[in-house]
Amino acid sequence: MTSQRMTLPALILKLSILIGFILLATWGVHMIRDGLDLQIRPDNEQQVHKAIMIGAVAYVGLLAIPFVPGAEIGIALLAGFGPAIAPLIYVCTIAAMMLAFMIGRFLPTSALERFLRVMRLRRAADLVARAAPLSKDERVAMLLQGQSKPVLHLALRYRYVAMAVAVNMPGNSVIGGGGGIMIIAGLSGIFTPISTFLTVILAVSPVPLAVIFLGLQF
Amino acid sequence: MPQVFQVAAIAAATLGTGAATLSVMNEDIPDLVVPDGNWVATGALDGVTFRIYGEDLSSGAELEDDIIFRDGTFLSTDCENSCNFGWSDYQTMEIDGVIHFTSTAICPDAPHTVVWYGRVTDDDVEIDLTWTTRRWYWTNQIPIRSTGAAIQSEVGSG
Repeated sequence: MTSQRMTLPALILKLSILIGFILLATWGVHMIRDGLDLQIRPDNEQQVHKAIMIGAVAYVGLLAIPFVPGAEIGIALLAGFGPAIAPLIYVCTIAAMMLAFMIGRFLPTSALERFLRVMRLRRAADLVARAAPLSKDERVAMLLQGQSKPVLHLALRYRYVAMAVAVNMPGNSVIGGGGGIMIIAGLSGIFTPISTFLTVILAVSPVPLAVIFLGLQF
Repeated sequence: MPQVFQVAAIAAATLGTGAATLSVMNEDIPDLVVPDGNWVATGALDGVTFRIYGEDLSSGAELEDDIIFRDGTFLSTDCENSCNFGWSDYQTMEIDGVIHFTSTAICPDAPHTVVWYGRVTDDDVEIDLTWTTRRWYWTNQIPIRSTGAAIQSEVGSG
């Protein structure tokens, strides 16, 4: 494998594109929020509450399933209700990650694969089937697909850091998204529940904390 | 440790941390602050009904409501439609011919608290109120400002 060094202009260009994308996405979300005209009034507060509860349960469930887009529900709730809903999204994200981890850790691989196939979640079932015959270390390597050997060695040594990085890495949907990563982490058997829990608490905190403390508005 | 206990421990830790996180991050919004004074339950407005027109100051939505005073208690028909608040005690104080009143209505079916503060001059009324909902995951407040005038009561016994 050859390593490619990025030149400074290329790096600046990539950063500029990223910032441009974030600005465009923020503007888009703002437009959607205005379009939805989500206002909480005395006469609709109960309905809004029910919608938030249904959205939160769906968010936890979908985010825990590999390759199923769940994060969008969280983003939609943040877009609709602003920073006030960020603590709920944060807690739900932790719950979803731990749910996926527990599924991977405690459910037999064959049962999990069968369940996913019954649910017609073929890609998720394939992911579990791919992980089943691998060793613990090889399963962790799955989390960092495409990385060089030194990076993998480093990741195995600092596996909780690697987990946090993988969960936050843009484009991690290729390897199953947050839910897929946590299921594989659970399957690997080398992550202890308490350390995983503490890692997840920190790993999923940047966005909600930024929304709460920096007052980022959608 | 048996697996079932491990699962229960992780679930309990997740729920506990979630509850703690929400209680720390969920910022309370205080109810409308009513000016201090010699507030007394005089029933000074008993028998009066006001039709008021207000504005939700956060959304700009317009509201219409009838508020009824009877037997030392107060009821908003619009609030009654949204949540079954029932009749709430009210207090008054008079300053320079203006009757100030306040009432706090609490919905028994949902975590809504509505604090009313109004000023009655002859047949006219000006009202400030906050509708505060304290859910376990957030606190939402709707501030409303209304004005209106006394009408002939059609509700009678409410």
